[in-house]
Amino acid sequence: MTWASLRAAFAGLRARAFYVACATLVCAAPAFAAGTPVGTVIENTATVSFDLAGTPTTIQTNTTTVTVAERVDVVVTLQSAQVQVQPSDTNRELLFTVTNTGNGSETFTLSIDNALAGDDFDPIAAVPAIYFDTDASGDLTGADQAYAPGVNDPVLAADASIDVFLVNDIPAGVVNGNLGRSELTATAQTGTGPAGTEYAGQGDGGVDAIIGTTTGEAAAFGEYVVSDAQVAVLKAQAVLDPFGGTEPIPGATITYTITVEVTGTGTATASTLRDPIPTYTTYVANSLTLNSLVLSDAIDADAGEIDSAGTPTIVVRLGDLNLASGIQTVEFQVTID
Amino acid sequence: MSEYKLTKAIAAVAALLALSVNAYAQQHLDVQTVVQKQVVIETEDGATETQLVPANNVVPGDTVVYTITFENVGDEPAGNVVITNPIAEVLEYVPGSATNGSMRIEFSADGGQTFGLANELTIVADGVERPATTTDYTHVRWVMQTELEVGGTGTASFAAVIE
Repeated sequence: MTWASLRAAFAGLRARAFYVACATLVCAAPAFAAGTPVGTVIENTATVSFDLAGTPTTIQTNTTTVTVAERVDVVVTLQSAQVQVQPSDTNRELLFTVTNTGNGSETFTLSIDNALAGDDFDPIAAVPAIYFDTDASGDLTGADQAYAPGVNDPVLAADASIDVFLVNDIPAGVVNGNLGRSELTATAQTGTGPAGTEYAGQGDGGVDAIIGTTTGEAAAFGEYVVSDAQVAVLKAQAVLDPFGGTEPIPGATITYTITVEVTGTGTATASTLRDPIPTYTTYVANSLTLNSLVLSDAIDADAGEIDSAGTPTIVVRLGDLNLASGIQTVEFQVTID
Repeated sequence: MSEYKLTKAIAAVAALLALSVNAYAQQHLDVQTVVQKQVVIETEDGATETQLVPANNVVPGDTVVYTITFENVGDEPAGNVVITNPIAEVLEYVPGSATNGSMRIEFSADGGQTFGLANELTIVADGVERPATTTDYTHVRWVMQTELEVGGTGTASFAAVIE
């Protein structure tokens, strides 16, 4: 036997010992949703027992070893509901989650695509258009870090995920009901391809990487819908003079009826009606009503008041109004000075 | 390397060789185990067929097949032949995959302490005894019902999915 072959024999023994240690670790490992971690060594040795002339004997087979390769898989899921937008809105975000469903660590490239079929307009990608939800708030904030390809590509451990925003502007020319789609794609940097595609030596720790059923690339899109709310305000007046007629003479009472109606698919949020008391008239105390309910003149918890700072002004907070809210009717009275 | 060390090393190797020769002579059974990966291949006519290939590039979700072969190379029959194979923690036994030949197949769900037929095996989980499922299996074993004659051979195999 040569010295070289002797050394090889001992090297083999050392390698064997290492594998046994790994196998012990594996036994203590918890279950992973993404599967057995890359690099796990699965050893198998069968035991055979038998009797020879009544004498029990036990022998072992050789040990087979399987090293788990890296499976490259990724899933992108949309978190946002359909986002209501107005024409020319800026920096409207969609939230996505990118999850590494493979069994090893993987680095992903992120990209945005707004030229999708099935919609009415293409949102305009902001610059930059991709952000991480760094502060985990679920909303785009100043604390959120912009994504720069090749600079801060997300590195995700097996089973790990990261929340990502796509940020878009809305074109000016869109109209009520128009739909615009924006898509986030996450691409494994190890590689992509049909399930089973092999990237020799490209897995964690130099094992082979195998593309899983997700093809190593995943995408999901979110939707913006133009929700223009048209607000129609009509004001009518009825005059009652002290003589029972309708002449607008001093002492006559004018009843103003203001109707507010919202049409379209959108919502007019935090709507407030402000109507100054005309000059040469005086507000009739406690005459303010909203949908026939009296609102006190004082600034208090109810929805309306007289704002006496400067020109006395009727203020009625109508809140969020949409088509379903129906017509809101505000009435008040003044007397002609 | 000093001459003394070299001599010692050669002696050690010689001792090892001698040991293995002795073991071979004593064991009378020649046993081997191999592991293969099960793949589904689509043939030209669109049908699918299952093949066994070398267990390279194995990833979670893949099915591996362990095959144990044995042969009585001794000069007298072997009785009470039992082949026991542990099912690794990260493997899940594929129901019905163990081949039996003429052997009785039993499973253990308690790390090899006790064995029973698939439909008789129970485990105690959270203080409640229930039938063991394939995910509970820790070992599979084959119990030969007859003596293994001189020159007799056999095969035992099972499949498992990598979790």
